Amino acid sequence: MAIPPIAALEIGTSRTVVCVGESGERGRVRITGVGVCPTIGVRKGQIVDLSKVRVGIDKAVKEAEKASGVDIWQVLIALSGGHIQAEVNSGMLAIRSNDHVVSREDMEELGESVNDVLLESDRQLLHTIPLTFTVDDQSGIVKPEGMRCKMLALDVMAIHGLKNRIDNAVNAAKSAKLDVTDVAFSGIGAALSVLTPEHKHNGVALIDLGGGTTSYVAYCNSVFAASGCIAVGGDHITNDVALAFTIPQARAEDVKRRYGSAVIAPDSGNKRVTLPADVGFEERSIGCKALQTVINARVDETLRIVRSRLDDAGVLPHLGAGLILTGGGAYINGVTDLARLVFGLPCRIGVPSNVDGLDGVDQSAALAAVAGLVVHGRNNYEDRGLLSPVKHVLKGWFGR
Amino acid sequence: MKNEDQPAMLLLGVGGGGCRLAASVRAACGAGMRAVGADTDALANRQAAAGGMTCLLLGGSRLAGHGTGGDAIQGRLAAQDDMQNLQSQMKGVRTVVVVACLGGGTGGGATPEIVKALGEMGIATICFATMPFSFEGQARRKEAERVLPIIEESADSLVVVPLDDLFKDAGDDLLLDNAVTLAEGIIAAGMTLLWRLLSKPGFISVDPERLHTMVLRGGNALFGCGSAGGEDRAVKAVEALRGCRLLRSGAALTRANALLLGILAGSDLRLAEVGAVMREVHKACKPGCHVEMGTVLDPFYEGRVELVALAFESWTAAALAVPQAAAAAEPPQDDIVPVRAGGRKVRSKSASKLSFGATGRGKFKGVEPTLHNNHDLDVPTFMRRGIRLER
Repeated sequence: MAIPPIAALEIGTSRTVVCVGESGERGRVRITGVGVCPTIGVRKGQIVDLSKVRVGIDKAVKEAEKASGVDIWQVLIALSGGHIQAEVNSGMLAIRSNDHVVSREDMEELGESVNDVLLESDRQLLHTIPLTFTVDDQSGIVKPEGMRCKMLALDVMAIHGLKNRIDNAVNAAKSAKLDVTDVAFSGIGAALSVLTPEHKHNGVALIDLGGGTTSYVAYCNSVFAASGCIAVGGDHITNDVALAFTIPQARAEDVKRRYGSAVIAPDSGNKRVTLPADVGFEERSIGCKALQTVINARVDETLRIVRSRLDDAGVLPHLGAGLILTGGGAYINGVTDLARLVFGLPCRIGVPSNVDGLDGVDQSAALAAVAGLVVHGRNNYEDRGLLSPVKHVLKGWFGR
Repeated sequence: MKNEDQPAMLLLGVGGGGCRLAASVRAACGAGMRAVGADTDALANRQAAAGGMTCLLLGGSRLAGHGTGGDAIQGRLAAQDDMQNLQSQMKGVRTVVVVACLGGGTGGGATPEIVKALGEMGIATICFATMPFSFEGQARRKEAERVLPIIEESADSLVVVPLDDLFKDAGDDLLLDNAVTLAEGIIAAGMTLLWRLLSKPGFISVDPERLHTMVLRGGNALFGCGSAGGEDRAVKAVEALRGCRLLRSGAALTRANALLLGILAGSDLRLAEVGAVMREVHKACKPGCHVEMGTVLDPFYEGRVELVALAFESWTAAALAVPQAAAAAEPPQDDIVPVRAGGRKVRSKSASKLSFGATGRGKFKGVEPTLHNNHDLDVPTFMRRGIRLER
């Protein structure tokens, strides 16, 4: 089914990215244009200066329009931030038919009720992702249709965020004269573009190391298992480096990218890096070991927080496919080695292999979330007219 | 209070030296004592485990059991890697005696992390830390001196044992190997006495709970022992205690505000001898010093009197909310000390060398903080963890 071009926007802490995709071969999404502009006015995933953010959106949109040859007037927004939370919502339904066989209507009715998540007034629902059914006392059922039972229960993972933060992102897009069709959690976007059904079946955790936030999602036995977001990202590493060596933030960012490493090399003890003089900045040198120690401490801490959250969710022993890192932070030297040590699991950088058109792009894992959002838009478009929450749930059941 | 299944007190050796000391103490005290060793060196771990001690390999996935090579950063990371394993060994434990030799990679790097984690679990910690010999070089000494305040920050009580002090009067013919063995032997013997005092029921017993309370109230301590036999053994034992290098040749007793004193002897110990010991100890201490005394009668000590002491200098200043004048006039009494059960020592902020406050937030100054377990994650991790950078 051919789809019209879909544009996705991610207002990241370090850069604003717009991605345009169209339907490609064999029903896959093909990315036809990408626009990137450094972001000013966002801290830890939250907008603090709307006017500066709008300038970044304008530039990224223009670049993406030029690359794709499409006029962008409507976008989906990828959102992250420490305010995003996930919780399991459960619902039950008594099977009233005489033969007590679960029908499709029963599943729809249950899906409708369980998607009605009761949230606090300041929070807004972003996603409801079906987990598993419980048929009478038998849990972990994926497709209960046709089974015989008296009571059917369903768990869904509800992902929600603070309404005002979501509104701020939407308003930023609107201020750049863009309509917003949907807002999605960036971790879900990254999972859509990177993870394969085999990953999900074997159990996988995807960690998106963004500029201001670190998002994670995990799947076990093809079922969504955990997700969340921590308001710590690459910006924190830069800030740590800047404070450790008393250098400007821009210089710290450069040092981090060029010489930084998340693991402390045994032979780095005597090595030094010279920072050339600039206006208002005298030449100086810093020790490589000290630089690596600063970065190691921060990345190690962040990964351990994710690890403890996954452990709390009980998914850690079920990650047979290991870890996949996405986002700009995945390209920090040694980060996969460190993650391997912290989690005791195989780890690699995840490229958006579920979309075409990004093969020649440098550091494509940094585009995983926004590319995945185009896939999310495509999926929603195919459902158009069926966009009720019930159909979302059904899609989850049959689309595994 | 005592429950055989849940030991209230545990000895934890960290690093090669710490594990050796813990193993020596355990060998002297027997299997009834719960001791755990944590090291990054698998070979050393195996040797310690052969002695019946529970041993944990730190940072196995990171260092493959080859040790840290003297790198304290690797020691710290290794401890973080396996902290959950270590914590799982601490279930039901109320007081942990940590033994570590500072200056090396594991002892210097892992000990601060472990002591901090134990503190966060609500366990009272008394940390015996040895300072390296001066002949081990400036680098090791500096490393040890860097780590001490970090341990002090988290430990309820820190007992610093400078190895040099043990050999101030040693002749030129003392062999290096002998010196190290002798030093470890002295410390292990002292700790064994302390452990026996706490674990063996005596006429006046000191149970782990009393140590727990002393540690929580007392702050940093100095530790020493002395022994004597034959005629006038009680007075001579106190003289030996006063002469103990670890107690700064008696200066620690003079300055102490509180003293935990153990008298260990055989069944031939006479009441008059206990009186003589206490009289001499009170003479050696300053007026008003609070002395907690315990005795152990064990055939093992037949014919001798062994004394072991923990001298707490900051007892009054750090823990008692009693006005100075009143405290000086009258020794502190248990029933007037407002200590919560399981409560932890609170160090004054001004004493902290690691307090960076809001100045460490940099570009996140004024932004809503990211909090995790009461830590502000916007403050650089290396600052919060007290990691020294070789800039």
